[in-house]
Amino acid sequence: MPSIRLSRRQILASSLAAGAAGAIGVVPSFGKAQDNVLYVRFDSDIAVLDPGYMVGGTEIETQKAVMPALVEYATMADGSLGWEPTVYASSVVQRDDLHIDFELNPGFMWTNGFGELTADDVKYSFERMKTTDWSGNFEAMERVEVTGPYTGTIVLNTPFAPFPMITLAAGPGTVLSRKAMEATGGQFTTEFPATCGPYLVQWAPQQRVTFLPNPEWTGPAPAFSEIRALIITEDRAAELAFEAGEVACTEITAATVARYGDNPPAGSAIRVAGALQYMWMGMNTEHPKLSDIRVRQAIQHAIDVDSLIQGAYSGTTEKSNGIVCPGLVGHRTATKYSYDPAKAAALLEEAGVSGLELELKTLNVQERILAAQIIQANLGAVGITASVIPVDSGPFWEMGSEAAGEQWKDLQLWIMRYGTNPDPYECTQWFRRDQVGVWNWERWSDDEFEALYLEGLSETDADRRHEIYLRMQEIMEDTGAYVWLNHEPETFIYRDDLAIDVYPSGEMDIRDFRSA
Amino acid sequence: MWIYTLKRIGLSVVIVFCALFVLFALLRFLPGDPITIALGPRATPEAIARYSEKMHLDDSVVVQFLVYARNALMGDLGTAVFSERSVVTMVFEALPFTLLLAAAGLGWAMLVGIPLGCFAAVRPNSLLDRITGVISVGTIAVPSFLVSIWSLLIFAIMLGVLPAIGAGEPGDPLDQALHLILPAFAVGLGWVGYLARMVRASMLEVMSENYIRAAQAFGLKRRTVIYRYALRVAILPTVTLIGIGFGGLLSGAVFAEIIFGRPGIGKLIYDMIIGRNFPVVQGAVLIITAIYIAITLIADLVVAKLDPRVRESL
Repeated sequence: MPSIRLSRRQILASSLAAGAAGAIGVVPSFGKAQDNVLYVRFDSDIAVLDPGYMVGGTEIETQKAVMPALVEYATMADGSLGWEPTVYASSVVQRDDLHIDFELNPGFMWTNGFGELTADDVKYSFERMKTTDWSGNFEAMERVEVTGPYTGTIVLNTPFAPFPMITLAAGPGTVLSRKAMEATGGQFTTEFPATCGPYLVQWAPQQRVTFLPNPEWTGPAPAFSEIRALIITEDRAAELAFEAGEVACTEITAATVARYGDNPPAGSAIRVAGALQYMWMGMNTEHPKLSDIRVRQAIQHAIDVDSLIQGAYSGTTEKSNGIVCPGLVGHRTATKYSYDPAKAAALLEEAGVSGLELELKTLNVQERILAAQIIQANLGAVGITASVIPVDSGPFWEMGSEAAGEQWKDLQLWIMRYGTNPDPYECTQWFRRDQVGVWNWERWSDDEFEALYLEGLSETDADRRHEIYLRMQEIMEDTGAYVWLNHEPETFIYRDDLAIDVYPSGEMDIRDFRSA
Repeated sequence: MWIYTLKRIGLSVVIVFCALFVLFALLRFLPGDPITIALGPRATPEAIARYSEKMHLDDSVVVQFLVYARNALMGDLGTAVFSERSVVTMVFEALPFTLLLAAAGLGWAMLVGIPLGCFAAVRPNSLLDRITGVISVGTIAVPSFLVSIWSLLIFAIMLGVLPAIGAGEPGDPLDQALHLILPAFAVGLGWVGYLARMVRASMLEVMSENYIRAAQAFGLKRRTVIYRYALRVAILPTVTLIGIGFGGLLSGAVFAEIIFGRPGIGKLIYDMIIGRNFPVVQGAVLIITAIYIAITLIADLVVAKLDPRVRESL
């Protein structure tokens, strides 16, 4: 085996040459766009790309770049969030409460020789979803009728106004190739059997997802010849990567938004995609210490949510007044209660309660523990002693579940955060009567709430729906079991020579990224 | 030597088996329902049923352990919760990146730390020795995650001369090498101090040995005495330390892997813990444990070969 011998002189000469190359810029510079290649960040690795069994997040971002769908999110003329047909469909029309007609544009070809995108693919994909882990999104769908090679009708079994928004425009609305799926056994994990989009996808586990041009693509040309999505799971590392110029777009944390303030790095811009998360402090209405509504109302008045948002979230999250998130039909702009420690003390006195000791449980997450400590101080100011108990995710998610035993009886106060799709129906469903002991840990029920829930599902008039969901949140608040806290936003930082497109639920639509 | 080797191998097998049991028990004794922990709070009944069947959760804990141990002995560490990719495949995809990082990190640390220790030892209490001492203690004291962040801030963000994130373009060795510089610097810096202190101490001990004094008395060149005779013996404990350190870095490089967004075994375990993908965590930790034990075994056998007294000690 030949050996390489270097003298000290040679090593020194090499080092000097390398140093000189760096000094005059021969060493490649980093972080700059090369040959119209765009670098973005994915915040998790791919697990399952199959829409029926996916986890979400980066998997939806990948699907949207390479797979067809009937509709996509759009901002309506009045500024509200709605939907419109994608490039694959010439029309998608809700004919009546139970029928959605669609017509595909011809000429979109599946890769790997699986032919053209047809209405039969839509039928296969959506009816298949009814048997998968995401079947809940298709519960309201009866079937898909194919009326021609490119035309069909989605038939609902019950009027369900949110269907286009929460199902067709979201990840579960991805259309698959029937032929490709049948050829590969009807299910897949990390490799699409066939794609039909401007890009082809390559995956290097733990490293990157690369989107390369699809030579068979006949739709509008994408803005970038290649997109490389670097998998950077740690938020801080992603922020440093952005500052180093190695990615052009990344989601950032609330703490970083606060740090940047009004002065983000040069050449960058910040965009809030949406705030489809709602956090509140719940109270168990059946716990002996909290069964008196005056005690619960006293707690509502005792907590200074504005200070909590400043203290725990550096003022970067929006104060919530209910569970329906900003930008959605039914979003509330005020609560019926307000921060009033004197009134809180008076209510406690009226209820004959003194020296009350309560447990406040929260997920073991930095911001939420901080929020709990602020609540603890607020409650202390009105004479309630609260113990903050951080809980790991396993036991936390079982605290109020009757299926997990009797521990729900000891549950008193807790901080909870749910995420939702861009329709108010989804966030209200967890508080129905049949959810008591499942996800309704506050353990109340109300006939009017139940009736309004059903009405909201079938109502298509936006104004009426708005009224319905306002009233439902008012009913929740009147139980005294909720202190609304905040809506955490999905915030992105990006190079200001880019125009980005981000879903309200926080996924990047990289197919629609453009040079500004 | 053969008896020692057999005893040592037997002990290693027992340790691996204990690790297997502890890893299995950890998941079972975590508070909360293992299915909720793995699949999240809103998993569908179908997904719960599939996971339960796959993990044999309907069987008794003893049966579950026996199935897991049998499969592990046959090289089957199961599959990831969602992607159903083989755990062994996932671990061996990540392992080369960590091996490269550990080798590069320890490599440069040896190139700097060993000569530094030598120079300090041959001129004890000199200015050079004192400076070496300060540098050594300083590098040992600074945690690697801090070195990672600062080196990234200085060289990637402020100066922009080195890449910050990832392992470089596949198929481009130069790019991969450039992406290795900062993480290897961060991982190796602490080892410079360790090695320098270790070599200095060993060298001082050896330099006072009779055979070294005899060599000096015979008029051999100082350089020959130091490098051909003294260092050769003084380096032995350092070699053992390097072996153990290399094994430790397989999982200990996790901070550098996370901060620099590099693929690797530590980052795989970290990501899987965050994602509650416990079959991968179990499998990856088991493989790392096995490798660590194997490296320790090899180091012990080498030392036993060189020093007969060790063979009698087990």
